[in-house]
Amino acid sequence: MIINKPARIAGVAVIAATALAGCGSASNTGSGSSSGAIAGSGSSQASNATAQASGSADCFTGSLRAAGSTAQQNAITQAISAYQAKCPGAKISYNGTGSGAGITSFTSKQIDFAGSDSALSPDKGEPAKAKQACTSDAWDLPMVTGPIAVVYNLKGVGKLTLTPKLIAKIFSGKITAWNDPAIAAANKGAKLPSTKISVFFRSDSSGTTDNFTNYMHTTDGADWPAAHGKSWTGKVGQGKAKSAGVSAAVKSTDGAIGYDEWSYAVQNTLQMAQIDSGSGPVALSAESAAEGVSSAKVVGTGKDLSLKIDYATKSPGAYPLILVTYEIVCSKYAQPKTGQDVRSFLSYMASPEFQATLPKIGSAPLPAGIQSKVATTIKAVS
Amino acid sequence: MSTLLRAAPAPRTTALAPGRSRGRTLRSSAATALIWLAFAIALVPLVWIMWTVLSRGLPSMLHLTWWNKDQSGVGPAGFDHQVRGARHAIVGTLLMAALTSLIAVPIAILTAIYLVEYGRGRIARIVSFMVDILSGVPSIVAALFIYAVWVTTFKLTLVPACASLALVLLMIPVVTRSAEEMLRLVPNELREAAYALGVPKWKTILRVVLPSCMSGIVTGGLLGFARVAGETAPLLLVASYTQFLNQNMFSGSMAALPTLINTNVQFMSSDPISADRVWGAACTLIVLVLAINLAGRLLGHLTRVKS
Repeated sequence: MIINKPARIAGVAVIAATALAGCGSASNTGSGSSSGAIAGSGSSQASNATAQASGSADCFTGSLRAAGSTAQQNAITQAISAYQAKCPGAKISYNGTGSGAGITSFTSKQIDFAGSDSALSPDKGEPAKAKQACTSDAWDLPMVTGPIAVVYNLKGVGKLTLTPKLIAKIFSGKITAWNDPAIAAANKGAKLPSTKISVFFRSDSSGTTDNFTNYMHTTDGADWPAAHGKSWTGKVGQGKAKSAGVSAAVKSTDGAIGYDEWSYAVQNTLQMAQIDSGSGPVALSAESAAEGVSSAKVVGTGKDLSLKIDYATKSPGAYPLILVTYEIVCSKYAQPKTGQDVRSFLSYMASPEFQATLPKIGSAPLPAGIQSKVATTIKAVS
Repeated sequence: MSTLLRAAPAPRTTALAPGRSRGRTLRSSAATALIWLAFAIALVPLVWIMWTVLSRGLPSMLHLTWWNKDQSGVGPAGFDHQVRGARHAIVGTLLMAALTSLIAVPIAILTAIYLVEYGRGRIARIVSFMVDILSGVPSIVAALFIYAVWVTTFKLTLVPACASLALVLLMIPVVTRSAEEMLRLVPNELREAAYALGVPKWKTILRVVLPSCMSGIVTGGLLGFARVAGETAPLLLVASYTQFLNQNMFSGSMAALPTLINTNVQFMSSDPISADRVWGAACTLIVLVLAINLAGRLLGHLTRVKS
C-alpha cells in the first residue's frame, strides 16, 4: 500500500492540473485581444491592405523554400500570406535562420532563394559558390529596407535626440551617464536623470549589428574606429540573443539603450531616439525612412543590384540608419518551373502594391526608382 | 502532505517490531520521512512542468482548428491574431516517427534475434558493443552524420525522410535492447521442447520464441516510437519548417511539433499568439508521447505471457 500512495498522489496532482487548466481555457481569447492592443491599429491596416490587394500577380501552384535574414522575416511572412491569399496553391516557406545560414543553405542547394542582410560578398567567395550551385550567376535583389531604431528606456524622458557622434560615443562607452553635457546639449529643455547608461547589443551574428556598426564607423570613425562586422566588437554593454532579446532587455532596464529593427521596436512599444544628422532631429517614421532610403545607390554591376546607403546624408527629414535586405536568386534555375515560381512570387513582393503595405509592419518600401529596376531584373530570372 | 507522511510509517513499525528500541524506531521513521521528502522534491519539477504546459497549452489545443488546420496564411509575429492549427506539425511528427519505425524496427528485431539466438563469439560481442555505442550517440551527432552524408557528400537536397534517417540511428539501439531483453526472457525449456519435436531452429524462433515474447517487443517498439516522436535536435538540423501540411516524405519541407515550437519561440516574449502556439505545440507533444507510451505499456501489460 505504501508504494501505491505516491502514485495516487501523483495521479491526483495530474488530474487536478488538468481540471484547473480547463478553467484557464478562456485566456486564449483574452491573450488574442491583448496582442491586438499591442500591435495597435497598424496591424489591422496591414491586414486590410492584404485583403484589398488585387489579383495582379500571376499565380503558381507548388512549393518554394527560402531561408535567411531575420530582419526581413516580418516582411516576407506578410508577403507570403498576402500572396497566398490570392494564390491558394502557392506554398512558400521562409525560415529565419540568419543571413549567414541562409546563404550557406542557398549555396548547398537546400533552398530556392535566400534572404540576406548583405549582398553576396566576393571577399568570402560567395558569388563563386552561388554560381556553382546555380550553374548560372546569382543575383542580389534588394527587396525590403528595414530602418534600425535606436531604442532606449529612460523614465521621464519621452523624447530623445541623438547625433551620430553621440550614438558612437554612447555605444563605445565614452559617455556613461544620461545627464552627460553632450546629451543635454542635443536635448535642450529635457530633464535628463543621472542614470547610468546600460548598453545592450546583439550577442549573435547579425546583419543589424553589421549595418549599425557600419553606420557608426562611417559617420564617426574617430569614436568608432573598428570596421563593421556581423559580430559586436564594442567594449561596453551586455549582449542579448536576437532582436527579441535586445528588445526585452531594453524594455526591462531603466537607463538602457540598444538597437533593433523597427518592427521589433514597434512590437515591443519601445521608445525610439530621434537622429539629428545636422539638419534637425528626425524621428523614425515610414516617410523619414523612405527619405533615407532614397539616398541609396546601386553599386552592383550588370544585373546585380547591391545597394549602398548614404549614412551621412544631410537631406532634411531623412532617417539615415537603414538596413537593406536582399533576396539572393539564381539568374537561371536548373528547373524552369522553380525559376517561374520564384519570378512570380518576387514580382509580387517588389510590386508597388505590396511595397506600400510594408510601413505597417515596421519595414520601409524601396524607392520607386529602385523598385522598377528590381522588377525589371526579376523578369529576367528564368 | 506532512501529516500523511508522519502518520503512514508509525503504526507499521510498532505493529511489526514491538520489542524494538525507541532509538531505532526514531531513526527508522526519520529515514522514512527523508525518503518521502526526497520523493516529494523529485515530484516538484514534474508536477510544475505538467502544470505549466497543460495550463498554458490546453487552451490552444481545445480548439478544433488546432487539429484540422495548418498554419497557412500565418502573418508576421505581433500582427497576426489567430493561433491557427498544428495539423501540419502533428501529421509531420507522426509520419516521421512512422517511417523511422518502419526502417528501424525490423533491423532492431533482427539484430536482437541474432544476438540472442545465433550470436556467439567475437562478432556477437562486436555487434553488442556497437549497439551500446549507438545508444550513447548524442542525437545532434546522428543528425550531423545524416547532414554530412546527404548534403556534403552527395550534394542532395534535404527531404523530410532525412529526419527519419537520423532518427533511425537513435531508435535502433533502444528497440534492439528491449527486444533482446524480451527474447532472453523466453524460457529455454520452450526452445528445447521444440527441438525435441524435431522443429528446425528458424521455425522454433518464428513459431515459438517470437510469439511468446511478441507483446514485449511491441511495447519496446512503441516506446521507441514515442522516444523519436519527441526528439528535437535532429529535426532542427535536417528538417526545415514549413507552415503548410505536407504528407510527402520525399519532397519539400515538413513541419514537426518541435520545429513549430522553435519557429515561434523567438517571438514568445512580445507576442502572446506565438506564445499560445508554443505552449499548444508543447502540450500536444507531451500528450502525444504520453498517449503512445501508455498505449505501449498497456499493450505489454495486457498480453504479458504468464510464467
